[in-house]
Amino acid sequence: MITLSYKGKNTFLEAVNEKSGSDVLECYQCGKCVSTCPVSNFMDFPPREIMQMIKLELKEECQMANSTWFCLTCSACSGRCPREINIPAVMEAVRHMAIEENFHPDSKQVKNIRKFHEIFLDMIRRYGRNYELRMMAEFNIRTRNLFKDMHLAPKALLKGKIPLGVKSMKSAKAIKKMYEMADKLEQQSK
Amino acid sequence: MARVGVFVCFCGANIADFVDVPTVVEEAKKIREVKFAVDYKYMCSDPGQQMIRDAIVQYRLTSIVVAACSPRMHEKTFRKALSDAGMNPYLLEVANIREHSSWVHQKDKKAATDKAGDLVRMAVAKSIANEQLHEISVPVTKRALVIGGGIAGIQAALDIADARIPVTLVERSPSIGGRMAQLDETFPTLDCSQCILTPKMVDVASHPFIELIPYSEVIELDGYVGNYKAKIRKKASYVNFKSCTGCGACWQKCPVKVPNEYNMGIDTRKAIYTPFPQAVPNKPVIDAKHCTMLLKGKCGICAKFCEKGAIDFKMTDEVIEREIGAVVVATGYDLWDATPYEEYGVGRYKDIINSLEFERMVSANGPTGGLPVRPSDGKVPKTVVFIKCVGSRDKAKGIEFCSKICCMYTAKHAILLHHKVHDSRAYIFYMDIRAAGKGYEEFVNRAQVETGAVYLRGRVSKIYQKGEKLMVRGEDGQLGQEVEVEADLVVLATAIIPDKENPALARLLGISYDKYGYLSEAHPKLRPVETAKAGIFLAGCTQAPKDIPETVAQASACAAKVCGLFAGDTIKKDPMVSTVNKDFCSGCQNCVKVCPYQAIVTEDIPLGHGAKEMRTVAKINEGVCQGCGSCVAICRSMAINLAGFTDPQIINEIVAI
Repeated sequence: MITLSYKGKNTFLEAVNEKSGSDVLECYQCGKCVSTCPVSNFMDFPPREIMQMIKLELKEECQMANSTWFCLTCSACSGRCPREINIPAVMEAVRHMAIEENFHPDSKQVKNIRKFHEIFLDMIRRYGRNYELRMMAEFNIRTRNLFKDMHLAPKALLKGKIPLGVKSMKSAKAIKKMYEMADKLEQQSK
Repeated sequence: MARVGVFVCFCGANIADFVDVPTVVEEAKKIREVKFAVDYKYMCSDPGQQMIRDAIVQYRLTSIVVAACSPRMHEKTFRKALSDAGMNPYLLEVANIREHSSWVHQKDKKAATDKAGDLVRMAVAKSIANEQLHEISVPVTKRALVIGGGIAGIQAALDIADARIPVTLVERSPSIGGRMAQLDETFPTLDCSQCILTPKMVDVASHPFIELIPYSEVIELDGYVGNYKAKIRKKASYVNFKSCTGCGACWQKCPVKVPNEYNMGIDTRKAIYTPFPQAVPNKPVIDAKHCTMLLKGKCGICAKFCEKGAIDFKMTDEVIEREIGAVVVATGYDLWDATPYEEYGVGRYKDIINSLEFERMVSANGPTGGLPVRPSDGKVPKTVVFIKCVGSRDKAKGIEFCSKICCMYTAKHAILLHHKVHDSRAYIFYMDIRAAGKGYEEFVNRAQVETGAVYLRGRVSKIYQKGEKLMVRGEDGQLGQEVEVEADLVVLATAIIPDKENPALARLLGISYDKYGYLSEAHPKLRPVETAKAGIFLAGCTQAPKDIPETVAQASACAAKVCGLFAGDTIKKDPMVSTVNKDFCSGCQNCVKVCPYQAIVTEDIPLGHGAKEMRTVAKINEGVCQGCGSCVAICRSMAINLAGFTDPQIINEIVAI
């Protein structure tokens, strides 16, 4: 049972709208996003229901759902949305709010996804680009699953999909600067 | 010796796929009287009609049989073809071998062909006994009667009067304006209802071709198309409208308070009152049911304060008569009483109101000065739940149909709520959002996006009180979960039903109505403004629920129909009417009872040639008679004959099979 009681302001809805630059109120619940989404089968609430939950100010339920973490931001949904809602941006907004407030589902899958995000961003910060080999290693170590996907490694190596080193990049410094600026901004906003 | 021509139609594949048309032609040729028989792909086409015209001249035919579709489709076409060839059009018979044979016997081709042959034989036999008939001319009284002074009646009256045709507009309440005068703003443009309505009301009052009779009712309608006679009862207003200036001293001083109908009973009016400030005519009337002077003979304060001496407690109802040619019925709608919804606590909780009550509250001239309030404590509500389809689409408790306008006005209410109370929120429980119309879908989106109205798909199952709040429980169909809303105010979009006096009015006018009391149109698609009775037309919600644009369109359509009817000095009418053979009539008057059109009256004639004693016989008014044949069937002395369906014609048909 969901109890709806209006407190004079749509805080969650307005925050999501502001972060995503999209208007969730536009959603008329057609479900085209759900049938488009390649991973909606694995979500506990498909994108359409997430939109409705935002409208109903069900912040906790929304952040506890694994949907926003499972979203691949492939944008197939927003490409087809008749109400022109940027659904991946909405998903991302909810995700960001969860990270900021340190409030996210307890499931292992979501934890792994978070670790993946963190490691990936760390790779970019260090090298300005992804270093696949290190990324895989770190992910396997941090998730305590050393031999995960190891059987794919020989084939991928032979095909050159996993370079052994990382090529240096001209603009790596600039990217580092971006990170620093982002950190500064984040601290300011706190 | 009769000379009959038979023309059999293929109707493309409609007939030819299941009836062997050439065989039917061969069968027809075997009949002695048939001098010419032929088939053609489309008999109704120009070449097909030309075949008929040519054959009439060439073979000197005396009657024609067309075996094709239902006479409802093309009887007129073929009659015209006959008269073009110089033949009386009523010598035509149509054998319906499409609806009556090919379409209903698609599984058995031989049986369909045999039946088509029988139908042709019957039509040929009947046509031999056909007589030459001539259209009846009926004179017309060029004055229209409009019943009901809502937006439908106002629009119809104005459009007819603009064509310089006199109109009598009869309104039951003291002022015209109807339901539209109660509305605040109208969807989808949100323009003020009063601002667009009152100019039309003023036009009605000042139009030289409109006679406005307020506070009155039609009590009798006699006659037939073009020649009706209406009796109108003017209810005693106890105020002499001629000397009254509408100053308002009387109602300011009146001590009696009565629930105000215009404001849905939210506040009170006096026993002497005008319904609302912009009333037309702006003259007060005394409510006889509540006036102490009229009930107990004491008071009379209004008379004391009336400077003009316009108040007359001795006034009585007055019946006036008008001769008219056509009637437009526009009696409007009412809201269904939601009391059967016990699970919602209707009547138990004060803070559950209906949509018209909400409409009056948000109206600038309403009882609360334009602000919605909780009836229980007068507080402004922050969370308002709107429930749609209350009584609509509910065959268990209410009515089965969709009330059509609730989706739109509820979206409007959500917007108006937001305009009046900025920090409020509307929750709307809906079954479907039916927003078909120009600018309607956009309007609903506006309610959702601009005002943040939350639409929850599901019917509310129950409402209960918890402290100050009303807990509204339903399902959010989008999440598939039960929801409960803590509401300050609940607004029910109750079903639209016709005026409760519609059945009585329909009987009085001699027209039909459906099980809900809506007046029936002649054809749901092709004759939506006419009734089955010639010269009576329908406008607005009296026929079915509809919004203002549709109502206005239908009212204007009625006006066009009336103007068309009055275009000539006479009306042409089908000659297929009944006549009484007075020599045979026994005067039993059974026919008078069965006639659905009140076309039969009685008259006294001498018992015999030159005798002084009189006897009563039936007399049929051919202007009213619609040729249904009920009187023919009930007449025990076979004194009544229906032209076009005479006894010899029918007997010929029976003998032929």
